[in-house]
Amino acid sequence: MVRKYFVKELGLLLAVSVIMIITNMIGYKMPLVDSIKGVLLLSAIGLFGLTVSKFMSQFIKLPSMMYVSLTGLLLACPISPVKDAVIGITSQVAFLAPTTALGVFAGISLGKDIKEFAKIGWKMIIITLFVITGTFIFSAIVADLVLRVTGAI
Amino acid sequence: MESVKRVVKKYWKVYLVAVVIALVCDLIGTIKFDIGIGTLTILPMVFATIFAGLLGPDLLKLFDTKEAKLGGELVLVVLAPFMAKMGISAGANLAKLVAVGPALILQEFGNLGTILFSLPLALALGLKKEAIGACYSINRDSNLGLTTDIYGPDAAETKGTFAVYIVGSIIGTVFISILASVVASLNLLHPLALGMASGVGSGSMMSAAAGTLSTFYPDYAEDIMVLGSASDMLTGITGIYMGTFIGLPITRKLYAVLEPKFAKRKK
Repeated sequence: MVRKYFVKELGLLLAVSVIMIITNMIGYKMPLVDSIKGVLLLSAIGLFGLTVSKFMSQFIKLPSMMYVSLTGLLLACPISPVKDAVIGITSQVAFLAPTTALGVFAGISLGKDIKEFAKIGWKMIIITLFVITGTFIFSAIVADLVLRVTGAI
Repeated sequence: MESVKRVVKKYWKVYLVAVVIALVCDLIGTIKFDIGIGTLTILPMVFATIFAGLLGPDLLKLFDTKEAKLGGELVLVVLAPFMAKMGISAGANLAKLVAVGPALILQEFGNLGTILFSLPLALALGLKKEAIGACYSINRDSNLGLTTDIYGPDAAETKGTFAVYIVGSIIGTVFISILASVVASLNLLHPLALGMASGVGSGSMMSAAAGTLSTFYPDYAEDIMVLGSASDMLTGITGIYMGTFIGLPITRKLYAVLEPKFAKRKK
């Protein structure tokens, strides 16, 4: 089960890596070889995290991205023996390089909800915009206050 | 080999179209224009979301519903290397992350502030129990699961959550990107605080908001992305507990107090 998942994710990650490499080169003007190396390393870390998550989900359910992010964090933290290589290679991938692909697939996914969306009505649209705005601004205000109080900024 | 063929057959169309859209959007690049109250920054990902959405089963019908679902699956695949990148930056800036730790944790409670405003608005618009589901959180995937779990799939509360979930997934990414542009233009809050706030919703909302912010504050670009993703991760972990133990109870209490008042005023 975990092995089958690994193989499938490997294939899908390789496929989406191509899009990220294109974005990194066209959108962020990075060289081809550096882009390939960087994106593949990130995808490998992603694959490792996803596989661990799949395995661990038998015991405890946690967001799979937590495992991925934690793997990256451990590889790059000050006590990691490979931190220089990991940080160096992946620094050639722009932060926003994966976001174009993210937007495309999010868009493809939401295409099926547009009819549902049209049925919902203006009241819910207003409330949604209000909830997003409120949540964003309140979080920012609290963060700003705490950052100031704790002297972090 | 048989299964490889099947996988290729299942994904090839979605994939090829995605490559073309990504290529076009990257060539368009980031566009900025002045809208009076601030600078509006539109990232390639926002164009990509709109273009791809138009091709779906409900409009141009290039994709059917099954293919649209594959898109949702692939979002999670792309998020993996993205989060790996964020994790690496967090590891490289670990000391910085620890220094802002208290703010990062406490801003999760900032999510709750919106209830005090959104619930009265929903009641004023004439909503009933749907308002509870709609207003207790930003209603991303985990909240939809939570509300369905507590109230059942046919309850009014779940309908409210579902409506906000759908609206959020259609316009959330584009909207939060515009919102981040406007708030950043006002220049009232620190870029690091805004970075943390980027993580309140889904992964794609976070990257849209943090990405937009990073074009406003190039010096803070890396910090903003790191904090946005750290906050996104925290929301992913704490979201369910926040909703179960704090968000929903507060919203329900407030509803019990306010609803009769709004009902009376209607008459």
